[in-house]
Amino acid sequence: MKNKNSPLIILLIILLTCAILTTSGCSSTENEAEDAVSGMEATSGSDSASQTAGGSENNTLVLGEMWDIESINPIDGDAGTLICEKAAVTETLVGANENFSLKPGLATSWKQLDEDTWEFKLRNNVTFHDGSEMTAKEVKFTLEKVISENPKVASMLNIDSIEAVDNYTIKIKTKEINPILPGILHYPDTAIISPSSYDEKGEFVKPVGTGPYKFESFDDQTRTLTVVKNENWWGGKVGLDKMIIKGIPDPNTRAMAIENGELDFTVDVPYSETDRINAIDGINVEKYKTPRVYKIDLNLKHEPLEDVRVRQAMSYAINRSDIAENVLYNVGEAAGGPFLPTMVWANKSLKPYSQNLKKADELLTAAGWVDTDGDGIRDKDGKPLKLNLMTYAARPGLPPMAEAITAQLKEAGIDAETEVLEMGSIDDRREKGNWDLYLAAYNIAMVPDPEYILTNWYMTNGTDNGPGYSNPKVDALIKEARKITDLNERYKKFNEVESIVYDEQPMIIVAYYGCAIVKKDYVKGYVFDPTAHDYRINADMHLENKS
Amino acid sequence: MKYFIKRVGFMALTLFAVCALTFFLMNVIPGGTAELVLKHTFVGLEESVTDEQLNQISDRYDLDDPLYLQFFKWVKEAVLKGDIGTSYVFKKPVLYLLALRLPATIQLAVVSMLIAILAGVSLGIYSALRENKISDHILRIVTLFGVSMPGFWVALLLILIFSLKLKLVPVTGYGSLENLLLPATALSLHSVAAVMRVTRTSMLETLGQEYIRFAKAKGLPIWKIVSRHALKNAMLPVITVIGFQMGSLLGGTVVIEKIFAWPGIGSLLVDSISARDLPVVQGCVLAIVTMFLFVHFFVDILYTHLDPRIRYG
Repeated sequence: MKNKNSPLIILLIILLTCAILTTSGCSSTENEAEDAVSGMEATSGSDSASQTAGGSENNTLVLGEMWDIESINPIDGDAGTLICEKAAVTETLVGANENFSLKPGLATSWKQLDEDTWEFKLRNNVTFHDGSEMTAKEVKFTLEKVISENPKVASMLNIDSIEAVDNYTIKIKTKEINPILPGILHYPDTAIISPSSYDEKGEFVKPVGTGPYKFESFDDQTRTLTVVKNENWWGGKVGLDKMIIKGIPDPNTRAMAIENGELDFTVDVPYSETDRINAIDGINVEKYKTPRVYKIDLNLKHEPLEDVRVRQAMSYAINRSDIAENVLYNVGEAAGGPFLPTMVWANKSLKPYSQNLKKADELLTAAGWVDTDGDGIRDKDGKPLKLNLMTYAARPGLPPMAEAITAQLKEAGIDAETEVLEMGSIDDRREKGNWDLYLAAYNIAMVPDPEYILTNWYMTNGTDNGPGYSNPKVDALIKEARKITDLNERYKKFNEVESIVYDEQPMIIVAYYGCAIVKKDYVKGYVFDPTAHDYRINADMHLENKS
Repeated sequence: MKYFIKRVGFMALTLFAVCALTFFLMNVIPGGTAELVLKHTFVGLEESVTDEQLNQISDRYDLDDPLYLQFFKWVKEAVLKGDIGTSYVFKKPVLYLLALRLPATIQLAVVSMLIAILAGVSLGIYSALRENKISDHILRIVTLFGVSMPGFWVALLLILIFSLKLKLVPVTGYGSLENLLLPATALSLHSVAAVMRVTRTSMLETLGQEYIRFAKAKGLPIWKIVSRHALKNAMLPVITVIGFQMGSLLGGTVVIEKIFAWPGIGSLLVDSISARDLPVVQGCVLAIVTMFLFVHFFVDILYTHLDPRIRYG
């Protein structure tokens, strides 16, 4: 019977073998690749890879991180935030209080010796996770490494030379006057690491820092990072024995995973789900503001938008509190100026523009935009007031917000249309000047000082001055303020800048960004740090009676 | 044997063409490569980059060279040294990344394929034997759903039912069978429906043939008729569909991998496209196309087994 061994059976057998082969992880590609790639550091904890629901030990926190974990090197970009703020493995020289004023970190004090020289005194008796002491030598090593590997931070620091005066004193010379140097040293990418983070060949191995948790393993395949308690932390007691950090980029999946008991702590579930999840027994959701704003850049080179009255009218047409409540579900808040009112330097007199269609109508009519043909859209010289609003989908609040804004602009007789594009297309259009409005979310406290943002956004030729705004008075004020080291005087000048752009609206600030912290009830001692990029894990966090 | 060599030659040619196409397409889509690489690695997505940084990156990866030069340099390295580049974002060799991510995707695709074949073929046969009876209608309506439901929606429903309500399997995780069940089922649903519909049609056609009627007249039990006589002849179109389904499975992994945080190649490919991580995009496309070509090669070989009248030469 030849047809008994039907090829179908053979096919199935082959497929099955493939399946078994791949599951057992001994596929030939892997071995070949391993031969091809010598000296690759692969720390793999395959036992942590197959986490089952509720299968972790009693004092272990399983954390669902919002971004994919692509790297664990704290000085090369994205991973700085993860390793310093979320995994608490490394620490910075300078810390920040809730109002963004600076406080000691690994440095206990700092002072300016002259225009471009700073002296930092380091904390004594701080040890790295490899047991060695942190001295000026390692600080110098870290900062020099950051400058050579991270162009962005290098240009912010603008450092000329670093000198280790003695074990606990470091002298930094900047290329030109840089009053915000201490603020930049709060940035996570500048966190201090031990030279033992690298091997003899200068290849990065693992982050060795001074923080409350030390690196244990990183599973390269499932991109799961495990850190354990640092018994000798200089700051005292550490709450958790272990933290397992998994990158789960889909907000819906994060929500379901914490509901199912696979996570103890996560952030940013879909905003529309926050109240439902908060109502679940054993899980609570807390909403906070983070230093980021949703703002619209207006292309001032386009005819209707160069008129300040049109810009103000648009700002009056937008109902910010409605957006905060119904689009962001209160994960965020209506915004006035570019800075959070809780920031020590913010101009606190700037209240959010509230929706006022009557005022918008007056302003637009004064600017010559009237609806002459009765189609509901204003026109001028026979041309309708038609604008496109582009945004991207990487942050979940943006597309629905764009829809709400275009609908509200329509109420004021402005025909706006939303386009959700990929970042590449947005860059391309901005380059070609082929856009009207651009809605984006921006970080406003990369550095705890107003200079960085105000210079980049509002100064003529500022790096992030998308609108092409240029105001000599603003430029002069910023230049003056930059040279002032007395903080109060400095902030006064910057407050004036904030007032001017609040009136002129080259960018429409819509809302402050929010962050939803979702955690199980047994997670205790968590304190939200408003200066963190997304969230910061604090050493006091611990678990009570996790079953 | 001669056919085999010819076939491999064609495969190599296809791969080359696909790589060339990918490379040039990646360079004509809007947005500058250097700028997006920078944005992904050094700055927040939204912030601008300086010209100095752009030049640094362009120099490091020779992005200012004419495109054809860049491409041929890549081909030369790949063919002579087997080196298909280093990721701009991960700063690791692409081969290493593929070795990390490929097993997970192959697992997912193969298991989904198995589900699709087993469930699709058996349901198709059952449906054909029950032609126009109530169970046939129910099955056909169900498959209509299967074909029209988007994968991510099915995936979320499955999580809702099997993880949150029944507590049978975890939502996320990788490395054990229970982690594999939901993503594979979600991914296979569409294929199950497609395979089933073709099996049903083809089976009905075969069952109408003279020789089957003869077998029935001989008094053979129905399962014997199906397994001995009808199945082999009815399988030809099904095999074709299975081959094509492999393509849609590999495409479908992208969405499913994102939802289940599955460490496969699909999510890597999408992220690399938006970050303009060219070497990784090339590597992923190369891997996916190779898999696809092999499946089709395999399908063609199967044809000759199923129907001796088909001869390649």
